[in-house]
Amino acid sequence: MVDLSVEIAGIRMKNPVMVASGTFGFGLEYAQLFDLSRLGAIVTKALTVEPWPGNPPPRIWETPAGLLNAIGLQNPGVEVFADEILPELKKFDIPVIANIAGFTKEEFAELASRLTGTGVSGLEVNISCPNVKAGGMVFGTVPELAAEVVEAVVSSTSLPVIVKLTPNVTDIVAVAKAVVEAGAHALSLINTLLGMAIDIHRKKPVLANVTGGLSGPAIRPVAVRAVWQVSQAVDVPVVGMGGICTGSDALEFILAGATAVAVGSANFYDPLSSVKVVEEIENYCIEHGVESLHELVGAAWKN
Amino acid sequence: MSGFYSEVSSQIVEQVSVAPDCYLLTLKAPQVAAAANPGQFVMLRCSTGYDPFLRRPLSIHQVLREQGKIRFLYRVKGKGTAWLSERKPGERVSLLGPLGRGFVYSEKKKKGLLVGAGIGVAPLLFLAEELASLEWQLVTLIGARTASQVLRGDAFSRCGAVKVITEDGSAGERGLLLQLLERELRENDFDVIFGCGPLPVLKGIQEFSRRFGIPAQIALEERMACGVGACLGCVCQARDRTYLRVCREGPVFAADEVILDG
Repeated sequence: MVDLSVEIAGIRMKNPVMVASGTFGFGLEYAQLFDLSRLGAIVTKALTVEPWPGNPPPRIWETPAGLLNAIGLQNPGVEVFADEILPELKKFDIPVIANIAGFTKEEFAELASRLTGTGVSGLEVNISCPNVKAGGMVFGTVPELAAEVVEAVVSSTSLPVIVKLTPNVTDIVAVAKAVVEAGAHALSLINTLLGMAIDIHRKKPVLANVTGGLSGPAIRPVAVRAVWQVSQAVDVPVVGMGGICTGSDALEFILAGATAVAVGSANFYDPLSSVKVVEEIENYCIEHGVESLHELVGAAWKN
Repeated sequence: MSGFYSEVSSQIVEQVSVAPDCYLLTLKAPQVAAAANPGQFVMLRCSTGYDPFLRRPLSIHQVLREQGKIRFLYRVKGKGTAWLSERKPGERVSLLGPLGRGFVYSEKKKKGLLVGAGIGVAPLLFLAEELASLEWQLVTLIGARTASQVLRGDAFSRCGAVKVITEDGSAGERGLLLQLLERELRENDFDVIFGCGPLPVLKGIQEFSRRFGIPAQIALEERMACGVGACLGCVCQARDRTYLRVCREGPVFAADEVILDG
């Protein structure tokens, strides 16, 4: 029997596979398709203090082996989540990690404090959304600002704090180090790459928001590189994501230094891909005589 | 209401070209056939690799319940539908469905007006056949640019009266679908209008519904990523300016429920 269990910042998961924020709603949309408890954890759609309408459509555009999105954080707000959605999600035997998105440092603190004691297993701090005018990626591109947000969150909650990083920076390691120093218990990377597409018939940008975040298999090598760099530079666990569709993809991230992984856009390609990734990792371990997944974490640079 | 959906690998029974770039695809999918309601759709994977990456939403055109088959009528618009059009009987495709909220209608027989523009007739045939079996009295208006784009007229005529109008007059009357719609509403009484087509037609239906005081339901088309309500990529605007998911609250909406821009 292979031991696939991992622990991220005190969050115990039966396997290393999560679903990435924004690609899985609040999980309930997929609950009828498979048993959610087969996953390691669910990361929710981003939550804001107030209900947030999001960006006008068009919001998505397909690109080679991926897609651009500019949803703009549409969500019912933290109160509705805590009062109505979370009780439903807690019926499943699986850690729920709430992705939080403040437009100011104070809002991040408020979200962290509001969610403490509700039964969520941890927070993912979204300082990397490319699709909002305030907050989001603005915080995540400047190490000092990122650190301030993380300090505000950590001092407002007893929950494990995972900080989600943007790849749209010159030096992702500098941001990683700054947020770890500010108290982050784990990091997740990468969020989407900033991109855009133009409709050559209308001669206008395709997305109403003009720019969007690129995800899917197209960005996987960028994500693997970021995990490789960051995991060697910090001593907190890294959750790797970016274009993971199969167990092999996930193993690349684990070997690059990720303790856990998240399946994102692949949920659109195949809504069962996350559970297939779990099975494929397990099979790989059996074939390669791996008894515990920990043997593989960072093996590409450790040995 | 959103019912139970599943992910199935479904075998192609038949694929025929019914017009330039338009195909009628028949799949063996008993689960979907049993569960589907008119106006619902499936997400069909249109590649073997990651390009195209996203599944394509296709509305269910016809259900052959006893045979466990479903049909799709689609037009080749890009890489995904081109791939689909090259698939042969015996091959399998992955589909997710049935999805979304379809047309709402009473089991009591009434008078219904169906309005389909071009490929917009796709979701209406399933509806016409269901309503006909409930002994509704139906009139179907089909509009297209030219005769070859008038699709499935025969199938609709088995469910009730059919009136055709083309922009070049090569089939039926010459003129625009909305002109025919206006005249039909002026001359005859209907309890409800069901429509599908490009934005100008949907806007016209919305306007006539209001002007004649006849409720209308319209099926919207939108690019989708997940198809199940998770990603929030396919929204349209509600009257109160909030966003509704076309895949979940739709794809069929009451005409006065949504704001159509474009």
